Amino acid sequence: MRLSSRMIVVLTSIGLLSGSLLVSVNFLTRDRIALNKKQEIEEAITRVVPGTQASQKLYEEKEFAVYTGKNDAGDTLGFAIQITAAGFQDKISLIVGTNPSLNKITSLFILDQKETPGLGAKISSYDLFLRFWEDKDCSVPLRLRKPAVQTPEQLSSSEVNTITGATVSSESVLNCVNSSLEKARKLKAEGKFRIEEKSAE
Amino acid sequence: MPNRSFLQDFNKGLWQENPVSRQLLGMCSTLAITNALINGVAMGLAVSFVLIFSSLLVSLLRKIIPNQVRIASYIVVIATFVTMADRFLAASFPAISKSLGPYVPLIVVNCIILGRAEAFASKNTVGRSLVDALGMCLGYILALLILSSIREILGSGTWLGYRVLGTWFEPWIIMILPPGAFITLGLLIAFANQIERKIKLRR
Repeated sequence: MRLSSRMIVVLTSIGLLSGSLLVSVNFLTRDRIALNKKQEIEEAITRVVPGTQASQKLYEEKEFAVYTGKNDAGDTLGFAIQITAAGFQDKISLIVGTNPSLNKITSLFILDQKETPGLGAKISSYDLFLRFWEDKDCSVPLRLRKPAVQTPEQLSSSEVNTITGATVSSESVLNCVNSSLEKARKLKAEGKFRIEEKSAE
Repeated sequence: MPNRSFLQDFNKGLWQENPVSRQLLGMCSTLAITNALINGVAMGLAVSFVLIFSSLLVSLLRKIIPNQVRIASYIVVIATFVTMADRFLAASFPAISKSLGPYVPLIVVNCIILGRAEAFASKNTVGRSLVDALGMCLGYILALLILSSIREILGSGTWLGYRVLGTWFEPWIIMILPPGAFITLGLLIAFANQIERKIKLRR
């Protein structure tokens, strides 16, 4: 066989083999990966809207989604808003839980972040950051408390804590939360999503 | 003496030609992912999987692949195994897959793997290539274990996620940041060179 045709044959067959192998690997793992993603979101919703037994997606657009959390009886316990926006290094993806009237934050959970390890990455830690976000009045935009305080009791009802040494990451999370709440309220007012009748009364 | 040479093929990856401390290959991911032991272990295993199977395949195909397209063929082989490893991690160990981030797909361009394919597997039998790959993997994993243990203990005060240093210990955050990676790696290489020099003097 001439060299050029041999090169073509060898490269093509290696490519074909590898392609078919990858197709089968994708076929085997696809469902599992999708399930992992879904489970991750569901677990996060259960965490930010306490008592949730079932969740449902109400609204979705690029890098923004609204879910409801319901209990066994089907009452809406609150909303879980997922948003992805710019952080210090890369995008931060988080989910914020609110009450049904969207004016109180129940809690916050970070789904994905690539902030500086040891500094900004503390936004994922419950003890260092997330516990300062529980039961906040968000009818007005939340503000950062700087310099940071040690316990949640030292913050006013619409204040959240800063991470010392990671102001940009803290601000990014704050901006994510404030803008997601504003957007959710606007969408709800426009009737893009609503609570089902049973619990609205 | 085939046995002796098998042993040599295996041993050289551990020390004489250790991919991290002697060959200084694959430094980018080595520096980036050794901030916690669990990441080091996962990365070591992922690289091992890719290295072993691509070495096997490359040495199997070494007489079929024309010289002119060998690098392209190796890269396709390597990329296939990397993608398989990446999908497998995402499906079975989503947390680890997330913390390793882009460094698993980046194994494709890890010089250790292409280096072994080009320097060894393409010139030697399947058996020797396999032994060579195993030795290299073990050397790589060992180096990652040492690096990530030092960095995790000093940088977070934990080992494999368990607290080993008491609450008196203020973590040296720099150790889990990029500078800590460079410092630890530099010291490790200096240490390896020192030992090597001692060995040479004794001979």
